[in-house]
Amino acid sequence: MAVEFLQTPGKPPEDPHIAMGQALMAQQRKERLILMVRIGVVWVGLIIFLIIVLLQLDFDPSYVLAHYPFVLEGLLITLGISLASIAAATVLALVGAMGRLSRNPLAQGISGFYVSLVRGTPLLIQIYIIYLGLPQIGKTLISMGHPQLGQLFVLTGVQSGILALSLNYGAYMTEIFRAGIQSISHGQREAAESLGMNRWQIMRRVILPQAVRIIIPDIGNQFIAMQKDSAQVSVMGIWEMTYRANRFARQDSKFMEMFVIAAAFYWLLTIVSSWLEGLLERKLAHAYER
Amino acid sequence: MKKYTIAFTMFVVLGLLLSACGGTATADTKLEEILARGTLIVSTDPAYPPQSELVEGGKRAENTKCAADQHTASELSGFDIDVSVAIAEKLGVEACFVTPDWTLITGGNWANRWDISVGSMTITPERMEKLYFTQPYYTTPAAFFVHTDNTSYAQPGDLAGKTIGGCTGCTYDMYLAGTLQIPGETINLVVDDPQFMGYETDLNALQDLALGDGMRLDAVLTAQPTGVGAISDGLPLKQLGDPVYFEYLAAAVDIATTPDPESFVQKITDVILELHADGTLLQLSEQYYGLDLTTAAGEFDWEMLNQFK
Repeated sequence: MAVEFLQTPGKPPEDPHIAMGQALMAQQRKERLILMVRIGVVWVGLIIFLIIVLLQLDFDPSYVLAHYPFVLEGLLITLGISLASIAAATVLALVGAMGRLSRNPLAQGISGFYVSLVRGTPLLIQIYIIYLGLPQIGKTLISMGHPQLGQLFVLTGVQSGILALSLNYGAYMTEIFRAGIQSISHGQREAAESLGMNRWQIMRRVILPQAVRIIIPDIGNQFIAMQKDSAQVSVMGIWEMTYRANRFARQDSKFMEMFVIAAAFYWLLTIVSSWLEGLLERKLAHAYER
Repeated sequence: MKKYTIAFTMFVVLGLLLSACGGTATADTKLEEILARGTLIVSTDPAYPPQSELVEGGKRAENTKCAADQHTASELSGFDIDVSVAIAEKLGVEACFVTPDWTLITGGNWANRWDISVGSMTITPERMEKLYFTQPYYTTPAAFFVHTDNTSYAQPGDLAGKTIGGCTGCTYDMYLAGTLQIPGETINLVVDDPQFMGYETDLNALQDLALGDGMRLDAVLTAQPTGVGAISDGLPLKQLGDPVYFEYLAAAVDIATTPDPESFVQKITDVILELHADGTLLQLSEQYYGLDLTTAAGEFDWEMLNQFK
């Protein structure tokens, strides 16, 4: 009511408490701003300190300036592999979460096994199994007279990388999806049941639309983590940022310079991604703000 | 409906990704397959300049037959790359490059992902269990180096009982221990009772030798190009006599290649012999190393490897 009263034109506020409240909020805003500025100063100070330390240690900044575009060319590949993998992982995770939550022992068994197996093994091993191990199965199948089927097991580096990252993140995200779906209160489900919806309708019309709001920020976090994990596909000779930095460094033995370039680009990429993720999160939260 | 559409699109994209590799092989031999395809897929690890390195600002060639995940010669440079291009030219096909880790190349079992390694690979008995080697395209001669102040040694045999440096676990170490075996070559240890001093890399040994004649080391056994490079970098060293043995560096083909790779290996051997004969390899060797590293490789008796049993 007070707000409406304030908005009426031509009538100044008569309640002194509102002015006081506004002053208090302004004061808090100002304090927050000052804190932010101070934190920013510390960050800048730390970065300058790191640069000074590096410069003392035979670090060649002109080399960085001359060769950063070469590493930058790999950014699109890093991003492309991450985007393709997060898309596939999302589908896997949705299916996996449905399995985890179903009452069917087969579905629950398969999805539980998948999550346990994938989360319990290192990503690098999964990459090796897919890139180096699967062709052995392919070879056997080809020798048994199934050349088309056998060829499916011989994946290129990019395909292996996307498959490994998708499977790996799909497992972690299965648990995120499961938690998101379970976080929707049971009353919602009961209410939907009382309207006569079946299980599938409840999931699609009531549970998922609400769960998505909780899940999406986590997908964003997984995407950020994946951008960094995608560095591991460089073992298969994919020219993403890590590979470019590593191989180029050997020409002049400028390892520190080239890896600092790659690190800086990964960092920038994750900062931009976090910011976008924050925007998305706020947009999704809009409908629930009071 | 939107959600279905997105999920459907994803499945289609995944399906396309997975089916993209379903090429059909109809050729009877690897050589026929390569000639029909019009590309020679070469593996190289661009971590080893001057043999193979990445080119800054190197753009993918236009109108290339190379697949999207392969690289064209314009994106790489080095001795191995130029040799690959020369081989592909003689075959009448285009050279395309893939860049897996070196250990994935030497381990064999390439699953037909690439046709050949042109990667300065030393022919060794262990590798011959997994790979077919072609005629070597150049060699790494191993030679002794001594300090410039020294006047008492005239040939490697004079180093009997002296302290000789080299990298631990390298062929130089094995040579001085009398255990080195190189397929296609008889090795004679010309130094009696050498005292081996192991280093992490050859360069450390050369630097210790440069401190003074006999101060820490009397000689270093290393690759001739490495020693010559150190001398041109200003170290006060000189080569002692002729190289004592050669490591032969050849192109390699996975034994498990399908279809049958034997005629392909034979053809590449013929091509490399032609490149030796017409001076292409010698010219490249002079260009990259300033040395003739190829003549001994042209004289190597490839038949003696007796690989097709």
